[in-house]
Amino acid sequence: MASSVILETKGLSKSFGDFTAVEMVDYSICEGESAGIIGPNGAGKSTFFNLLTGMFPPSKGMIRFMGSDITDQASFKRVSLGLVRTFQLVSVFNSLTVLDNLVLAAVPFNSQFTRMSRFMLGSAHRDEVLSLCEESLIRAGLEQKRWSLTSELSYGEKRMLEIAMALLLNPKVLLLDEPLAGLSEFEISDVLSIINSLREQLTLVIIEHKISRLVGIVERLSVMHQGQIIAEGLPDQVLCDPTVRRVYWGADDQACET
Amino acid sequence: MKSINTTTLKKFDLLFIAIAFVMLGYLVTFQRTTDFIIFCIFVVSYDLIYGYMGRLSFGHMLYLGTGAYATALFCDHVSSNPLLAILAGVVCSALLGAVLGPIVTRTTGACFALINLAFNQVGYFLVLIGFSSYTGGEDGMSAFFGNLGPINFNNKMTVYVFCLTIMLFVVYFVRRLTSSPFGILLLTIKENESRSQFLGYNTVIYKLIAFIISTGIAGLAGGLSILNYTYVTPSFIDPTRNVEVIFASLIGGAGSLYGALAGGITYMMISNYLPNYIQRWEMFLGIMLLILVFWFRAGVWGYLTRFSGKPGKEMGS
Repeated sequence: MASSVILETKGLSKSFGDFTAVEMVDYSICEGESAGIIGPNGAGKSTFFNLLTGMFPPSKGMIRFMGSDITDQASFKRVSLGLVRTFQLVSVFNSLTVLDNLVLAAVPFNSQFTRMSRFMLGSAHRDEVLSLCEESLIRAGLEQKRWSLTSELSYGEKRMLEIAMALLLNPKVLLLDEPLAGLSEFEISDVLSIINSLREQLTLVIIEHKISRLVGIVERLSVMHQGQIIAEGLPDQVLCDPTVRRVYWGADDQACET
Repeated sequence: MKSINTTTLKKFDLLFIAIAFVMLGYLVTFQRTTDFIIFCIFVVSYDLIYGYMGRLSFGHMLYLGTGAYATALFCDHVSSNPLLAILAGVVCSALLGAVLGPIVTRTTGACFALINLAFNQVGYFLVLIGFSSYTGGEDGMSAFFGNLGPINFNNKMTVYVFCLTIMLFVVYFVRRLTSSPFGILLLTIKENESRSQFLGYNTVIYKLIAFIISTGIAGLAGGLSILNYTYVTPSFIDPTRNVEVIFASLIGGAGSLYGALAGGITYMMISNYLPNYIQRWEMFLGIMLLILVFWFRAGVWGYLTRFSGKPGKEMGS
């Protein structure tokens, strides 16, 4: 099992002044696994993702990805290794068209564009590029809106676009930070069906608030509280864990099923 | 969907621009149009870092001046071949951009603007006092260009045609640049640089490349001005003149190549002709800036293309 660990952290900590957002987190995920991380607001889930993807450096600890130490690597390097994320608040480029957002994600690791002259002087809308984006447009349900400015999309459409962009980067591990937050029921089922279809292809780590949504998707669930992982295991087991239930629902006894 | 008129414009834009500048030549004399052309090249170079990359600089005159002085010095000391001299100007400016770029492009916002201004001041001081034995200090220096084969660059019409040709090349080059993935990346650096890094781009390198290209083109504008005026004075590197190019960018609409040209022409028209009628014409510029900021954030070009169907790529600053 140890051989197939693709991403792991050892003693990962991050403090902002006196406040410790993430404290001594040992986390690992195996290739092909889908894992979820839940926890109350301010538990340090997003900070943990930010550390994994290199948004800021950890105060202590180390991160290994596919056998190599990436603790000090810049975020763009990690993306090129295959560690790709989405953001809690959808982050796409509002000033660009939908298509240009995708073009930008399709280009960086495409062998046709590794030559600088192609990247800098070749048209962004050449057929090779467009065909790369076409499938993503269809999958995200945005083929009618390719020329629209991204700022004109609804929040759910932006979420779909963001996921499509992440997928164009050919991730090995995809980190989804609350992918369902702020979406309507209808949009949630769209995003869930995409996530479901990804489970076989790549390693997934999902942060989510709605625990019930995660149960069907992830094979393993971790619970974060005050910067630490307080429980880990199969979703059903974790949800019945007394510590978890105290943290999540307070002291009162509630049914195991959520 | 792309509308018809922008697509046809894209196809024949160089032709349209050439015709526009020839007509302008008949309208305001060719000698003046040469001035306009050179200024437009400078605005295009400025627009690359301001309009596309979103970094407002108060020190772009430094690179125009470096190009101008390098061209003049090369012409006096090495060779009077105009092509080589201008090339020397471009190379010197781009080299200076490559040296200062790693420091400058680290910063954003006010810091970027002021660091550039600081370097511009240093350059101005060096030209005026520090290296005055080479640059002629306040008096400046003149440059005498030889003939290039049968072409006589002392003929104003020749200079006009030469500058127009160069400008068309620059427009072509910058259009290729801005419609490539690199151009889109520059726009994303303007909007949210850290997000571009999460798409796997080493934005530090790309910002530096854009900066060097921009400084190189600014140096080209400097070299061409020497070809046009045959002398150079410290006013070519004067930091207070940065206002002109910022103004032109705002008038035309930042982040659009055609906007840069439109802004360059508009500014030159105002600064050339308004003083004939109004003594303190700069006041008019101030009022115009207010109008632009409040009602026409996308500039002249952004306003004109607003109704053409294709969404304007971005609004002004």
